[in-house]
Amino acid sequence: MINKRVVGAVSAAAVMSLSVVGCAVDTSSTAGPGAGGAPADAKLTVACGAMEEICDAWTKGFAAKTGIPTNFVRLSSGETVARLGATKAAPEFDVWHGGPADGYGAAANQGLLEQYVPENAKDIPEKYKDANGYWTGVYVGVLGFCSNTKVLAEKGVGIPQSWDDLLDPLLKSQVSTAHPSTSGTAFTTLWTQVVRLGSEDAGLAFMAKLHNNVLQYTKSGTAPGQVAGRGEVAVGLVFSHDCVVYKERGMTDLEVSFPSEGTGFEVGGVAVVANGKNQQAARQYANWALTPEAQELGPTVGSYQLPTNPASRIDARMANLDDIVLVDYDFAKAAERKKDLTARFDAEIAAQPKE
Amino acid sequence: MTAANTAATPANTTLGAPPPARVRGRRKAFDWPTAAVVVVVVAILGILIIYPLASVFGQALSARGWEVVRSTLTDPVNRQIVVNTFVLGAVVGVLGTVLGFLLAYVQVKVAFTGKRWFHLLCLLPVVSPPFAAATAIITLIGRRGIITHGMLGLDTNIYGLPGLTIVLVMSFFPVAYMNFKGMLENLDPALDDASANLGASKWTTFWKVTLPMLVPGFAASFLLLFVEAIADLANPLVIGGDFTVLASRAYIAITGEYDIVAGSAYSLVLLMPALLVFVVQQYWVGRRSTVSVTGKPAGQKRLITHPSGRVPLLAFGVLVLSAIVLIYLTVIVGAFTKILGINNEFTLANFQYVLSGIGNESIKDTTLLALIATPIAGILGMLMAWLVVRKVKRGSGLLDFLGMLGLAVPGTVVGIGYAIAFNTPLRVQVGGTTYQLLPALGGGAAMFGGAVAIVMVYVIRSLPSGQRTGIAALQQIDPSIDEAAASLGAESTTVFRTVTLPLIRPAFLAGLIYAFARSMTTLSPIIFITTPQTQIMTKQILAEVDAGRFGNAFAFCTLLLIIVLSVMGLMSLLLRGRNDVRTQIGAGA
Repeated sequence: MINKRVVGAVSAAAVMSLSVVGCAVDTSSTAGPGAGGAPADAKLTVACGAMEEICDAWTKGFAAKTGIPTNFVRLSSGETVARLGATKAAPEFDVWHGGPADGYGAAANQGLLEQYVPENAKDIPEKYKDANGYWTGVYVGVLGFCSNTKVLAEKGVGIPQSWDDLLDPLLKSQVSTAHPSTSGTAFTTLWTQVVRLGSEDAGLAFMAKLHNNVLQYTKSGTAPGQVAGRGEVAVGLVFSHDCVVYKERGMTDLEVSFPSEGTGFEVGGVAVVANGKNQQAARQYANWALTPEAQELGPTVGSYQLPTNPASRIDARMANLDDIVLVDYDFAKAAERKKDLTARFDAEIAAQPKE
Repeated sequence: MTAANTAATPANTTLGAPPPARVRGRRKAFDWPTAAVVVVVVAILGILIIYPLASVFGQALSARGWEVVRSTLTDPVNRQIVVNTFVLGAVVGVLGTVLGFLLAYVQVKVAFTGKRWFHLLCLLPVVSPPFAAATAIITLIGRRGIITHGMLGLDTNIYGLPGLTIVLVMSFFPVAYMNFKGMLENLDPALDDASANLGASKWTTFWKVTLPMLVPGFAASFLLLFVEAIADLANPLVIGGDFTVLASRAYIAITGEYDIVAGSAYSLVLLMPALLVFVVQQYWVGRRSTVSVTGKPAGQKRLITHPSGRVPLLAFGVLVLSAIVLIYLTVIVGAFTKILGINNEFTLANFQYVLSGIGNESIKDTTLLALIATPIAGILGMLMAWLVVRKVKRGSGLLDFLGMLGLAVPGTVVGIGYAIAFNTPLRVQVGGTTYQLLPALGGGAAMFGGAVAIVMVYVIRSLPSGQRTGIAALQQIDPSIDEAAASLGAESTTVFRTVTLPLIRPAFLAGLIYAFARSMTTLSPIIFITTPQTQIMTKQILAEVDAGRFGNAFAFCTLLLIIVLSVMGLMSLLLRGRNDVRTQIGAGA
C-alpha cells in the first residue's frame, strides 16, 4: 500500500524530473533567436485589433509591398495589452495595428510600446495622434444610431435624430448599448454625454434616464448593431461603420443616423511594440500603415472607418464628416477618468431597477 | 471469487452485512511501481496547471489584487456578482443533474428501440461549440425568436438568468447523463431481482435500491455542473444580459479594463465556491460505499415495459431530445441561410468563406491538436482515478484536487497563466550558471508555433471529466477484485492494465470522447495563447460572432459538429470491439 512515504517522496522527485528536462543555457543567447538579425531575414507578427478581413488585407498588402513575411493574430485591445504585458521580456508581437486608442494609451502607460513617430505621421491631423508619440491614428470611427426601421415603424417612432429622441417612452426596452466597462464603444457614448452636457454628473444623469429604455447592456461594443439588425430592439448605439457592415451582410432594415447635438468618435491606432525582435521592419510597417495605400484597403473588405490620412480616398459608404457634428473629445482625459466613471456607472445606473 | 460477503453492500444496514472493509493483505514491500507513477503524474500536473496558476496567483495576491478580492464582500455591485454566480451554479447543477439522470434512466432502464440514436442525441450538446446553443436559442425563442415572436407573437426577453439557465443546462447535462449511464449499466440487476423477490414494487426498488446507489453520481454530476456553469464564459457573454457572473467579470477586467491583477483576483474568488463544493463532495459523499460490481455473476437485465412507467418517461425523453434537435437544426439551417429569421435566403457563401483561407487552417490545426491531446487526457484521467481511489491513501484528496483544477479554474485564468508562464523559457539561476528547465512552449516564437501550450491546455481542461467518471466507476468496483489479482502475484501496474482498465472501459471511453469534444470546443483559455501559426476554430467562431456574421459562425459550428461526431463514432467503434469484460468474469466464476 502506498503511504505517506510515497507522497513525501513525490514532491522531491517531481522537482528532480523537472530538472531532467533542464539543461545549461548559454546566457549570451538568451536575447532570443533573431536578435539583431539583419532586416533581410526579418519577419513581422502583428497584433491586429480590427476585423479579420482588414487585418488580412493589411498584412498581405505590407508583405506584398516589402517582401517581409507578415502575419497577424486578431485580438481585442484588452487581450493585446494582457499579452504584451505577459510577454514583456520577449514580445511575441512586433506591431499593434487597429483597435481603439485608449488601449494603446493603457499599453504605453505600462511601457509596452516604443515611443516612435513614423515619418508619415506628419500628414496626419494632430487630433488623431498621441501627444507623446506612442501611437498614430490610422482610422476614425463615428458613433451613431443604428436603427431598425421596421421596428421603429411598428412602434410609431421616427428615426432618432438627437440623443433626447432615445428617451421617448415608446422606446422602452428598445435601445441597445454596450456596457462602458467592457466596450470602448459604450465608453465613447458615455464620455460623449459628459462632454456635450458639460459635467460627469449631467452625463450620468442622461445615462440614468436612458437606462429605462435600455434592454440590456451587451458586452461587445458591436453587438447592439446585430441586436437591432435582428429586430430585438429599435435602436442600437454603435460606430456607424459597423452598422453599415451589418446592413450589407443582410440586415437590410438597418439605417444609420447621427445625433444633431454632436457625437463622439474613436481613433484606431498603430504602434511599434517595445523591445520587439524586428524593430526595423516594425517601424517600416507603422510608417506604411499611415499611407493612403494602406488606408484605402478598408472599403475593399468591408471596413468603412474614415481614413486619417487626408490624401486617402473617401468611400461613399463612409460617414460624411461634413454633415456630422463631433464633440470635442479629449482622449487623454477620457482615459484618465474611465475607471472612476465606469465604477459610478456600475453602481448608480446599471445596478438600478428599470422603471 | 470470494466476494460473496460484500455483494449487496449499498443499503446494507437493513441486510445486516458489515460494510465492505478493505481487506489489508500482508504488509507488502514498498510499492515502487505505484510510487513511480505517482511521481510522474504529479510532475505532469505541476507543469500543466500548478506553475501557470502560481504565475497568476502571484498577481492576484498582490496588494491591489487583494483589495479587489475584498471588494467582492464589501462592494454591493461586486457582492451581487458573487451571489449571481452561486445562484447560476446551483440552478444549473440541480437541473442539469436531474435532466441527465432522467435521460440516462430512460436510456438504460426503459424498453424501446433506437437506443443508439437516443444516446447520440444526448451527447450532441457536448460537441456544441461555444456560442452555438446560445445563438440558436436567441434565434428561436429570443425577443424576435422564430418561435416566440414569429409564431406566437410574444415579446419574450430571455437575456439574463432564464436564458443562461436554459443554454447551460442544455449544454452541460450530457456530463451528468454519461455519468449516470455508466453507473446504471454497472448496477447489478441481481439487486433489482432481490428487491422484487422480497415483494417491493418497481417504484420502491427505484427509490430504496437504485437511487441510494447513485448518490455518488448525483454528487459528482452536481459538482461538475456547478463548476462548469460558474466557469463558463461564452454564454454569459452572449445571453447573460445584465446578469454578470464572476467569470464574465474576470474576463471584463482583463479585456475591458486591461487589468490582469483584478482579473486574477476575481478568479481567486471564483475558485472559492469550486473549492467548497469539492470539499463537500469529498467528506460527505466520499464516505458512502457503493460497491456493486463484485465479480459475481450478473443477473438478467430487466427493462421497464409497463406503459405506466414507460410512456411518461419516453415522452419526456422525446421532448428533451426534440429541443436538442431543434437547436442543432437551427445551427445547420443557419449555416445555409443568409441571416436566419431575418433574411432566410439560401446561400453557400458561409461555407465558401469558412473553407477559403482563414477557415481551413484552423480546422486542420484544431483537429490535429485535439487528437494529440485526447489519448493523453484519457489515460491520465484513468490513472488519476485509479491512484485516487485505490492506491494513494494519504493525500488522495489532494491528488484528486490537482487533477480537478483544470476544470475548477476558469479558462480565462488558465489562459493568462499559460501566457505568463510558457511564452518565455523557464530558467533558473544556480550559482553562475543558468539552467533552462523548460523552453518557451506557447506564443508565436515557441517551437511548433506555440502548439505545445495549446495541447497542454486541452489536456488539463479535459482531464477532470475522465478522472471524475473513472472515480465514480471505480468506486462501484469491489477492491477485492484488485486484491485477488494482487494476491496472485500481479504488480500494481499490471493490475491496473489487465483488471481495472477493462472494468472501467465505459468510463474510459466516455472520458476519451469528452476529452476530444471538449478540446475541440474549448474557448476561454485559448483566446490568450493562439498564435499566427496555430489558428483555433473556436477563436475563429468568436471572431465571427463578434462581427455579427452568425451565418459564418453557424457554418463553422456545423463543420466542427461533423468533425467531432465522426471522430466520436470512430472511437466508439474501435473501443467497442472487445465486448463487455464483466460478463466474461461472470461467466468464468
